[in-house]
Amino acid sequence: MPTQNLVETHNLTKQYGKVRCVNAVNMQVPPGSIYGFLGPNGAGKSTTLKMILGLARPTEGSITLFDVPVNEKNRMKLLAQTGSLIESPSYYGHLTGEENLRIIQTLKGCSEKDIDKVLKIVRLHDARGKLVNHYSLGMKQRLGLAAALLGFPKLLILDEPTNGLDPAGIQEMRELICTLPSKYGMTVIVSSHLLSEIDQMADHVGIIRKGELVYQDTLESLHAHSKEQIALRVSHTAIALDLLRQKGIEAVQEEEYLLLPMVDDTYVANLCRQLITQNISLYRVEKREKSLEDIFLSLTGKESSL
Amino acid sequence: MITLRSEFKKIKRKKIGLTMCALIGVQFAWLLWAGNHPDEKERLQGWIEMLHSLPLVSVIMMPTIMSVLASRLADVEHKGNTYKLLNTLRRPGSLYHAKVVCGTLFILAISLAQFLFVIALGYSRGYAGHPEWKYYTTAFMLNLACCLSLYLLQLLLSMLFFNQMIPLVAGLGGSMLGLILMYVKMYSFLPWGGFLSAAQVNMDWNPETRVIHFYYREYSPVELCAVAMIFVWIVVFYTAGRILFAGKEA
Repeated sequence: MPTQNLVETHNLTKQYGKVRCVNAVNMQVPPGSIYGFLGPNGAGKSTTLKMILGLARPTEGSITLFDVPVNEKNRMKLLAQTGSLIESPSYYGHLTGEENLRIIQTLKGCSEKDIDKVLKIVRLHDARGKLVNHYSLGMKQRLGLAAALLGFPKLLILDEPTNGLDPAGIQEMRELICTLPSKYGMTVIVSSHLLSEIDQMADHVGIIRKGELVYQDTLESLHAHSKEQIALRVSHTAIALDLLRQKGIEAVQEEEYLLLPMVDDTYVANLCRQLITQNISLYRVEKREKSLEDIFLSLTGKESSL
Repeated sequence: MITLRSEFKKIKRKKIGLTMCALIGVQFAWLLWAGNHPDEKERLQGWIEMLHSLPLVSVIMMPTIMSVLASRLADVEHKGNTYKLLNTLRRPGSLYHAKVVCGTLFILAISLAQFLFVIALGYSRGYAGHPEWKYYTTAFMLNLACCLSLYLLQLLLSMLFFNQMIPLVAGLGGSMLGLILMYVKMYSFLPWGGFLSAAQVNMDWNPETRVIHFYYREYSPVELCAVAMIFVWIVVFYTAGRILFAGKEA
């Protein structure tokens, strides 16, 4: 039965010895999306991506790529439609950038013309004849991306592609990734431990913590969690809550506070006046904002590194 | 074929051919020294003497040459951390197979060069008659098989260890071991002793007349088993390498 997701994992689990690095992950990547795979260092991002690419064998669970369950027989056929850059770029330092791409192009079986195209996309055209050992880290990273782009695959898996890049390089890489779905119809899975990075690139997000997928939805939904609220602390919380609901305000109680959706100042003043006329003492009126960072930290645990 | 073609593209500028030529050059120098007799009587045994010298040269030189060859082919992948990329493009088994075939082609070239050099040397020195092709062909085939078994062992080690000093030391150790085993006559069933097990020529040395007599030996059943072991090693090392390569997680 078609799932309408380009990538799906079902209870994907990886155990090394007694440690479960990835625990029952159900990832869903819609076609044409940029799926940001977010989590602190050591959360299990790379292991999950490696399992999708067949570089690590799952202890449990299954993977579906392009609506086809992956098995040993069809793995290579399905991977022919993917490109990947895992952890650090792979390259032959004693060869030029172009020679490196020629090897990948031979193995991928794609057109030779693609080499020129991808070199232009990653802006390495001028350095094509230079030995990769003489490339900067940013150039190597871009070469890795060029290798992943060869054959213009349907799915691109990039594991921390901005690692080790300078701010300008990071910006350049981000801009490049953002254009891939619209320009080439690709679906991109990009992992990072930086929320801000995913926030700038992705339209879908999955957050992994200690091997478990703790959040998965659109980035818009994640942003919705970060909306501003008005918090009221009053003498009779239950009565005040009833009063607010009678007025059609979607208020919720959180500990001693009543949380209201953000409204303008005049509306807040009116509400306060009405509460006071009902003999409800008003102790505090606060504006609260839950930032994306707060949400991320509450999902991943504050003790985790960012 | 595609994977093999890419294997040759990978080793561009690695100067594997040049390195092999330099190491073979040492063998040639040794062979130039061996069997260089101004005496016509001694030249009568020239062809058979060269067949006696060849396994001795090989047992000392070939383990090192094979370790260098395997190391060069595996090192390109280690240095560039390429397994994780290659394994998404081709089946790991086919990548391993390409390395085996690539190395085998080098070994074939090395062995051919070795034997052609010996034959050219024999004719240029005016050895009596012609080489006995039956023995020379057998020696060539067995030399090739021994080299292949050692290459497969070294490829296994080179893939296993990131630090290529370990397989290189194993290769040098193999050369030393081969040399030592030659004197204690315990070489028969070890991979480095294959060259000596397969040797077809023995010699008698008369201390009184100081005359050396070379003769073709018949393999005893135990010696035949030792020769068969060369092929067993090939199967064992090839299978182990394939399992290791296919089962390796990036």
